[in-house]
Amino acid sequence: MDASAPMRERDGVMLAARHALAWLVLGNAAGLWLALLLIWPGLQLGEWTYGRWVPVHLNVQLFGWTSLPLVAWLLHIYEVDRSKAAAWAPAAVWAWTAALALGALHWLTGNSSGKIFLDWQGASLWGLIAAMVVLWLVLAVAWRERAATWRGGRRSFALSGIVVLATVPAAMVYAASPAVYPPVDATTGGPTGASLLGSTLVVITLMMMLPRAGAATGRGRAGWWVWTYLANCWLIFGAAEWIGGTHFQFHQIGAMLLLVPWAGLVPWDWAGFAWPAGSRVWRLAVFGWWGLLVLSGVIMYLPGVLDRVKFTQGLVAHSHLAMAGFTTSFCALLVVALTGRPLGGRRVVAAWHVAVLVMLAVLAVLGWREGGAAAWMEVPPGWRTAGLHLRAACGAVMLSASILWLKNWRLS
Amino acid sequence: MNPTALRAALVIAAVYGHFLIFAQFAFVELLRAGGASATAERALLGVMAVAGVAGGFLAAWRGATPLGVRIALGVAAASAALAPVAGGTVVAGCGVAVASGVALGVATVSLAALLPGWCGVVWVGIGTGLGYASCNVPWVFTQAPAGQAWVAAGFAVVGVLAVPRGADWCGDKRAAVLPWWGVLAMFAALVWLDSAAFFIIQHVAEFKLGTWGDKLLWRNAAMHLGVAVAGGCWLARSGARYLPVAAWALLALAAVAVNAAASRSLAGWCYPAGVALYSTALVAWPGWFAGADGVRPAAWRAAVLFAVAGWLASANGIGMAQSLNRVPLSFVAAAGLVVIGVALFSSKNDRRAALGVAAVVLAAALGAAWAGKPLAPDAAARGRQVYLAEGCIHCHSQYIRPGSRDEEYWGSGRSIEDVRKGAPVLIGNRRQGPDLSTVGARRSGAWLRAHFLDPQLLVPGTTMPSYAPLFADSRGEALIAYLQATAVGWVNTSAGKAADWVPNRTAGAAPPADGQRLFARLCTACHGAEGRGDGALAANLAKRPANLVEGPFLWTAAPESRELRSARVIKFGIAGTDMPGHEVLSDAELLALTDQVLRLRKR
Repeated sequence: MDASAPMRERDGVMLAARHALAWLVLGNAAGLWLALLLIWPGLQLGEWTYGRWVPVHLNVQLFGWTSLPLVAWLLHIYEVDRSKAAAWAPAAVWAWTAALALGALHWLTGNSSGKIFLDWQGASLWGLIAAMVVLWLVLAVAWRERAATWRGGRRSFALSGIVVLATVPAAMVYAASPAVYPPVDATTGGPTGASLLGSTLVVITLMMMLPRAGAATGRGRAGWWVWTYLANCWLIFGAAEWIGGTHFQFHQIGAMLLLVPWAGLVPWDWAGFAWPAGSRVWRLAVFGWWGLLVLSGVIMYLPGVLDRVKFTQGLVAHSHLAMAGFTTSFCALLVVALTGRPLGGRRVVAAWHVAVLVMLAVLAVLGWREGGAAAWMEVPPGWRTAGLHLRAACGAVMLSASILWLKNWRLS
Repeated sequence: MNPTALRAALVIAAVYGHFLIFAQFAFVELLRAGGASATAERALLGVMAVAGVAGGFLAAWRGATPLGVRIALGVAAASAALAPVAGGTVVAGCGVAVASGVALGVATVSLAALLPGWCGVVWVGIGTGLGYASCNVPWVFTQAPAGQAWVAAGFAVVGVLAVPRGADWCGDKRAAVLPWWGVLAMFAALVWLDSAAFFIIQHVAEFKLGTWGDKLLWRNAAMHLGVAVAGGCWLARSGARYLPVAAWALLALAAVAVNAAASRSLAGWCYPAGVALYSTALVAWPGWFAGADGVRPAAWRAAVLFAVAGWLASANGIGMAQSLNRVPLSFVAAAGLVVIGVALFSSKNDRRAALGVAAVVLAAALGAAWAGKPLAPDAAARGRQVYLAEGCIHCHSQYIRPGSRDEEYWGSGRSIEDVRKGAPVLIGNRRQGPDLSTVGARRSGAWLRAHFLDPQLLVPGTTMPSYAPLFADSRGEALIAYLQATAVGWVNTSAGKAADWVPNRTAGAAPPADGQRLFARLCTACHGAEGRGDGALAANLAKRPANLVEGPFLWTAAPESRELRSARVIKFGIAGTDMPGHEVLSDAELLALTDQVLRLRKR
């Protein structure tokens, strides 16, 4: 399918991309609000406290800005907009948005499950499951109609996708259960190196799929040995996760070290493809943030470093590097590649990345100092207050940039 | 400047001003002053509403003309001017209600239909803003009812003089922005929410004081004017589809914010903004956005819209709010569902999307009914639910890392195997404040309560917000019970740990000024500024805090022992009392603070 083909205004891919950008704006607004509440706690609205806004911010970024571009990608892969299911694509997108909006209301009214990254329970969980089912039905109808026009390999790939996607709601119900918790490093109370390897391998797999499933044309540079290495990484993840352990043990550190080659392998593979116009700036951003994410992730896992930054703004810096830096660039690249529309001018894009970079630097410094001694909890020092102000200023720039992207997208 | 447009804006301002200051305020107060019963008052307001609807349809049937507007405003002026002298009898009140209602019905419907021939939609915003702003001018707002009635009569006279000539329809047929049923539902929901919220705010003293009290009138006038003009610009540049959604969002924010003292001032900003936005749209809709192709069709649309939204929904909203003392979230959500639903899902394609949304809402409703949320049987278990609901996990961990400095601060914690038994596991991933595994042993219930109510009092500059609303019911005490229950078994180890601790003097003590600063920040809430045990919180504690001038450790002879014992108490607190520890302070800070405490002693 030609990724640069013009889109009709109401196409599902376009709608999903627009909703993703709208959620980015809302997620950034919630993030800025949280940053302000840390400086002026008295700003809180009644019972809508900091603790209730955090899941809104996290989940809007995860299940709105990050997930909806993936929804757009699925609609693109299954050629929903060329099928009879096209008229129902908006239903899938709106159902997703409705589930997230209901979730936000759920969290704000004090209905958190306590699972930080899978905070779905009761009404919010079943709303999200319903949205997944609606999306799956739309994809399945499109697949049934379009599969006949595809070659054997693609047909099988699409079929296996439909089968895997059918299991996602059940997997979601299981994973969101409060009784389920992943392995823990007893020395930190956080994830093991193997767990971090596993979650990053999901991202690597998506990155390797991106140009091969609709976002670009041509062939990548990855040969059999790259795919073998990827398969081995998955195997080692399974073994290390099964063994468990701490960040003082070699097999857990080694699991993390397996990620280092991927900092260069993905850009090297992508260089073999022909990408749509306007996507270069976002590919460069993806490479930059990806390299920093992998290298800083490995360094932060090392004994002594992790012990100091655990539970501090240092880890907040790393999650923002992952979300505001890398994931945002990846999602923006996906949106631009699927729709052929740029997000905004270079200056706005540059403002976003500079603001993210400054925020990460500030949070990293705060984290390092917080980890040294905990007296700041009782006597808030000037350096921390100044850091929180700087962070909020960066948040304001990021919010402004995302508003401009949404505005330009609507107008373009 | 276009003089016709300016005159049109003045007429809008006059009609709005008259309606707001007389029909909504002065008329009611005059009836009350005349001794009318509550039943009679409601009946007369009903008469005015019916007369208003009838007047609107009369104008639509007979045709909207500038002369009709002038006559209607003349009648409105006369009825307002005579109302104070007519006495408070039901018969006189009925006469005023009928005259005012019919006049306002004719004037509003005729005006809405004639406006497209007189001015652009930006002027509608200007006129609406001026109308609201003039009612908020302190001199007008604070008049006695009779004075307000005469001011309203003056507004109507200004309107009579300002009515432009000509009744030509300007331009071609304009496409309807939304289906007609949707427009009616949308504005009915907005007016209904506004009327209910207005009534509640007006009748709850602290709500009224915090939102549009007498000192805030100029601010409100400016907000009305500025936002209404902005609304007119929005309608002119970006269309009308989403403006009601923005108005609802502002009203919703105001309705939520007004219920809590901390956020009430925000309501004072949002409420006039929301009202000004939708009021501008309400006036402009029949002429510009309802698909009318002439004065007569626009008048019919205005008559129906104002009857449903302006009169019926308003009366309904006030009726439903009669016995309430806070704006229910269900009102906000119901209005939002209608307004957003209409804006988003009013075309055929949109209706498919609406089905997707409906599937999600239905599944969520079934999920909520199926999952339920039974209250935990005991206070500690309920407190754990509160801990989850309030998102405490996003600022506090419950895991003391073995072998790390965590143990120095908060003692030895539970093993990872024990922690993993929690469903969900509450390790957390970020500390904006201390680990809470052992807080129930390190802090008394009284300290925790005081800290939840006003964290700044005990830890100035803290990022912890107040959780006072939890103590309006049983949630706050349940949360304390939970925190204390998690620390059971740890209490006995703290005394031994304190007895073994010796400050590290290699870094030296911080300067005396630091000791004074630390004392002022951390000790005065309980011990008082001079250390006499008479701080602001002293009366809330089971035992009066130690008088540091008289003691403590009166019988500890050697100064070295006294310093060490004091430092240990400051660092670890005294288990079983309200004296908290200051576990995270550095040894240099602890020594400086100890020095300051000992300086307070008389001997």
